[in-house]
Amino acid sequence: MIKRTKGILAPLALASGIVLSLGLPVQAQTEDAATKAIEAAKQFSGTTITVVAEAGLQALLDKQITAAEWEAQTGIKVNVVELPFEEIYPKQLLEHQAGTGAYDTLLISPAYLADMVANGMVEDLGPYVEKYGVAAEDADINPAFADWQFYDGTRYGLVVDGDVLVTYYRKDLFADPANQEAFRAKYGYDLAPPADYGQFGDIACFLTEKYAPDLYGAGVINTGYMFFMFGERFRVAGGRFFDAETMKATVNSDIGVQVLTQMIEQNKCMAPGIETWGFAENLSALNAGQIGMTISWPPLGRWAQGVNINDAALSWVPATTVADKIGYAVNPGGHPELAAGFLSGVSVNSKNKDAAYLYAQWMHSKTQSLQNVMRPVGLRDPYRMSHYTSPEYQELWASAPEYLAVLQEGAANGLADFSWIETFRYQDAMSRAVLDAISGADPKESLDGLVAEWDGMTEEIGVDRQRAAYQAWAAKPSAYRE
Amino acid sequence: MTTAQSSVFGRPFGAGRSVRPGFWYVAPAVFILILIGLLPIFWSIWVSLLNLTGSNRDGTFIGLRNYARIFSDEKLGWSLVRTLMIMAVALPIQLVLGMLLALHFQAEKPLKKLFVTLLVLPAVISPMVAGSMWRLMFDHKFGPVNQIISFFTEKPVVLLWTIRGDLPFWSIIITEVWQWTPFMFIILMAAISNVDRDQMNAAAIDGARPHQIFRHVVLPAIWPVLIIALLIRGLDLFRIFDSVWQLTRGGPGNRTETISVFMYIRGFQGFDTSYIAAVVVVLAVVLSAIVMLAVRRVGLDR
Repeated sequence: MIKRTKGILAPLALASGIVLSLGLPVQAQTEDAATKAIEAAKQFSGTTITVVAEAGLQALLDKQITAAEWEAQTGIKVNVVELPFEEIYPKQLLEHQAGTGAYDTLLISPAYLADMVANGMVEDLGPYVEKYGVAAEDADINPAFADWQFYDGTRYGLVVDGDVLVTYYRKDLFADPANQEAFRAKYGYDLAPPADYGQFGDIACFLTEKYAPDLYGAGVINTGYMFFMFGERFRVAGGRFFDAETMKATVNSDIGVQVLTQMIEQNKCMAPGIETWGFAENLSALNAGQIGMTISWPPLGRWAQGVNINDAALSWVPATTVADKIGYAVNPGGHPELAAGFLSGVSVNSKNKDAAYLYAQWMHSKTQSLQNVMRPVGLRDPYRMSHYTSPEYQELWASAPEYLAVLQEGAANGLADFSWIETFRYQDAMSRAVLDAISGADPKESLDGLVAEWDGMTEEIGVDRQRAAYQAWAAKPSAYRE
Repeated sequence: MTTAQSSVFGRPFGAGRSVRPGFWYVAPAVFILILIGLLPIFWSIWVSLLNLTGSNRDGTFIGLRNYARIFSDEKLGWSLVRTLMIMAVALPIQLVLGMLLALHFQAEKPLKKLFVTLLVLPAVISPMVAGSMWRLMFDHKFGPVNQIISFFTEKPVVLLWTIRGDLPFWSIIITEVWQWTPFMFIILMAAISNVDRDQMNAAAIDGARPHQIFRHVVLPAIWPVLIIALLIRGLDLFRIFDSVWQLTRGGPGNRTETISVFMYIRGFQGFDTSYIAAVVVVLAVVLSAIVMLAVRRVGLDR
């Protein structure tokens, strides 16, 4: 009987399998997260949502392209509010505290998610995810970024931008036989993308000695976001931010002092005035062919290649002179900082929560996000497996597959931005201390000052509270890569 | 009794009450002023007694604990010292330059109106814009300041104005002096032009030299205006924010962090709301006392 049943069921199962396997792609095509969002959003046609975007290029994506597309497809008008990076969290918190309901779709840098949840600013997206069916595309998100969306097991955001710092280097200079020979003779190892930050300094000095003042060995970002730059190098060298038991800050450890001293020493092999360089100066120098190597965010790779650079919004980006000469590598030490990145969330004060969520889902969806990460404006970077493997993206320029592979590998091994209670204050203090040392102060004294500040903050917040938050963050594999 | 005091209702307005009629005439305006002027202060006092922070939105009542923190906060102390240093350097420079310009433009000169207009221009620019502009001027590579210095020294000079040594402090001073000397100039020019010319001429006939005329005739005549101008600029300098924020953001480290930058970072970025409210209350009391003393000292309250 059992055998007979099996005999009947086997062809049935086979037939069902064939039907399902033929039918699934059709179902997936018609019910992808983008389509679901658009269809569901039509019921809110005529309403207006206010979306927070980072001022500048990030916001241009919404303002120039997606707001109009969304309105055309759903009838929902999108009002874009631009905020500079350092104002995004504070402004959103201020509006929340005032209960204005000014923003519907929030912009969340993952480092501030814990604070936003603690302040009750963000809506639990669980019910929306279930209602509008975005989960079907979750498996496609790079695990490094998927983790960002949750706090304490609850989902508060949808990833819309996957950042990771990348090393860019001049392939032509690195491959030059004369450089290869001279470098090996001087340092005893091959001239190649730096495996650690010591090598980064060696290469910077070597190229500067040979090419300055026409070209300097490396460029770095020294103003703004120093908690990313120092934070990565400190952790790659084995540093810990706190003693997990006492919660005393330990950034002034020998490792901290060594790392900061090394950063300052390496500046000496770079262009005059390197201490004042920010993102734009670094980009200009790379595109102008004035530096042999740098570390920055993913858009540099696209802009240095000149991909889609003709957009009017990018007229300020210097024309590239190094297209096809730029190579990509995972940062020295193999654990780059997942510096910033963004999630979209929904404000608890929003009067149009569903519409706000649906815009976020649409931007986050597999199909729409691929378009977003390929656009020259928008500064959105790949965060889905399908982004890295997209034939459309890989064909944008000859070395795009190499670029995408480096982004994927970097993210997989990346270091999450530190995040605990009142993260912004800790970040600001770290940036100030590092810049203080870079501009001439004693590194040990700067870091001692930082430790005093951090310890004061921890005392004010409450040692036990902060310990719990820190330990939750430190438990993530991306917090400290052993 | 005058008939003018009778109202249309047949008896003087407020008659039989202890409050004078004038009180009722000004009451609405006073009420609005109190609402606008004092309510925020009372609200700040209330907030300063709570524990509102970026991670404590309940705001529990903690009494005077935030006030106690003020006296042990070294960072606040240093920001106050830096602010006073900026005042101590920028204010005399603005006063001297403004006075010299005002004296210079007393006499009729060719294109005087044009030059006066041009000189006043910086004061009408938004301080944020002025700060941005000077940041570009001080750019180590493309900024004209370093280029001019390089021209005179005949070799490339790379001064990191917003980063290195004491230069950030001086970049702030230069920006402030550039922007606000015209304010001093215009106030003093107006004051000097109102000094009695007969007195000046009489002094000159009596053999007084120009500096003696200035010391004994002009200065006493413009003294109240000069004190007011110094008070206004002094208070403005105490609140200095825009140019510092644009040039250095209070850095490098905390080396140019003034009291306003300190409060902005701590209060609006770090959300240490109640503590900053306590700082605001203390500063408001101290500054009000200083202003009242200064006003009384020079007899402006008479």
